[in-house]
Amino acid sequence: MGLLGVYFRRTVGILRTEVLVLPSRVAVLVFIVALMALPIFTQDYYFLRVLILTSIFAIFAASWDLLSGFTGQMNFGHALFFGVAAYVTALLNLKLGLPPYFSIPLGAVGGVLTGLVVGIPCLRLKGSYLALTTLAFPIILTGIVFAIPEVTGGELGLAGLSRLTGSRVMDYYLTSGLMLILGFTMWKITDSKTGIILHAIREDELAVRTAGVNTTRYKLLAFCMSGFFAGVAGGLYAHFMRLAGPSGLEVGLSFQVIIWAVFGGMVTIYGPIAGVFILYPLMEILRVVLDQFPSLPEIRMFIFAALVLLTLLFMPEGLIPWVRDKIETECPRCKVRNVFSRHRCRICDAALD
Amino acid sequence: MAQPFLEISGLHKDFGGLTATNEVSFSMGRDEIVGLIGPNGAGKTTLVRLISGILRPDRGKIRFKGKNITGKKTWDIVNMGIACTFQNMRPFRRLPIIANVMVSCLSPRAMKRGEWVKKVEAKAMDALEFAGISDMALEKASTLSQGDLKRLEVARAVATEPELLLLDEPFGGLSPAETDLMAKSIARLHKGGRFGRLHSEGPAMIIIEHKLAQLMKIVDRIIVLDFGTIIADGTPEKIVANPEVIEAYLGEGGV
Repeated sequence: MGLLGVYFRRTVGILRTEVLVLPSRVAVLVFIVALMALPIFTQDYYFLRVLILTSIFAIFAASWDLLSGFTGQMNFGHALFFGVAAYVTALLNLKLGLPPYFSIPLGAVGGVLTGLVVGIPCLRLKGSYLALTTLAFPIILTGIVFAIPEVTGGELGLAGLSRLTGSRVMDYYLTSGLMLILGFTMWKITDSKTGIILHAIREDELAVRTAGVNTTRYKLLAFCMSGFFAGVAGGLYAHFMRLAGPSGLEVGLSFQVIIWAVFGGMVTIYGPIAGVFILYPLMEILRVVLDQFPSLPEIRMFIFAALVLLTLLFMPEGLIPWVRDKIETECPRCKVRNVFSRHRCRICDAALD
Repeated sequence: MAQPFLEISGLHKDFGGLTATNEVSFSMGRDEIVGLIGPNGAGKTTLVRLISGILRPDRGKIRFKGKNITGKKTWDIVNMGIACTFQNMRPFRRLPIIANVMVSCLSPRAMKRGEWVKKVEAKAMDALEFAGISDMALEKASTLSQGDLKRLEVARAVATEPELLLLDEPFGGLSPAETDLMAKSIARLHKGGRFGRLHSEGPAMIIIEHKLAQLMKIVDRIIVLDFGTIIADGTPEKIVANPEVIEAYLGEGGV
């Protein structure tokens, strides 16, 4: 009893001094609690399906941010990692009968290897050349997929994978839990010493080399890490949809992920996750709402585009950094963030205005 | 016979039809500070970039402490002990200043040395303190003035704990007071002063500079480049009296 009391008091202490002092941290806490508690209130099949896909795409968008946002290796073909991992997972599940908890990690390893294969030829490329080259890879692979239908299932893809878990609610907890864990991991990576080097490579690669750091190694590492996380997303998607098809390699998916990430706010990890959690359910809601008016032309994509454009026009850094700047101010002296309503820094007591 | 510390022989580099360095050869010792001067476009920066591995020579050899380093990767050369700064500063603008220096401290060479400071942050702070910008450690690099950016460049190079430091116009764009301070820091670094806690001895240096009056106070030897060729090599006193140098670079007014 005494020990429990100590733990309880310590948890409350951390909550009070570390979490509740900042609105952004409170928002994250509320988000996590809401995500975890949601199935208690509704177990609607369609509703959970949308949120499961949202979680999967959130992992995917964050992995793009890790590579293109943090390391500056602009990847226009990020669907490649997603698609390859989906196919690897599907083949392992269908041909070898591996259950999801083996096939998804191995699919992610497929993503890592893809990262290496793409990363090595892209080492010498920068900016738009890199972007165009990466754009080509999924298109090439789509061609290969159509060329060997006996292995890949051709246009129809590979169907009939085993279910992710037994029930929809378990699927939900698995995907949203994984999303939180992997998102936190990615955020920690970008906050680490490796993260500093990745940041620096984006800013000025030559200067990193003259600092004595092997940039080739770190760029490949970024490609591999990004491939891994995108691969987990691809594997989850394959098992959840019970299908791995050429749609996972589409150019549209590669651009979708960029839109999500840029909308939410690049170089943050949490930005792209928030971007997916706003845009993906919104599109589903629009679909449901607009279906009530069959006479209307297809204006869903138009609304989507207008929303994204307007957001970026007024918040060029993305939605989440903009909101964060509104609700928090940085202390000019110690650089700690404070609630906007404070007049003196909570750590060093410097004036904030 | 002992190996020279740095030995350059027949170093040649063309950019298209333009010869940047033309069969340059010289060598320097472990405790020397060499000034590298010459008119704009004489190939000074190219020479420094060839030594630091940013550019690859067409012909010729660079030997550092008896080892051939020609054509090696920049990071390998830095980890062998040659650090360089850029003439037009290249900070990581969106990173805090301390993170700028931490990148250097995370290089394999810096990680191996200075066992007594385990923490990378502490090492980075030490380099910043040496450069005199430790009070701004948390500011973004984009907020720095020209002079402080120069200091940051030096701090980043020093943080890799080099044995040979290549400084490309360390006084460029600095006010007279800042220039004095920088010159003092460089002289102190060479002696193994404040930062000498990390070094057994201060690094040898090659300094490219146009501010001759300042340069002559700290260097023991000056090499003059013109059209990619060494036209003079000697003590500062000899160089200013050399008629060829006066014609090519100094002008009749002298220093």
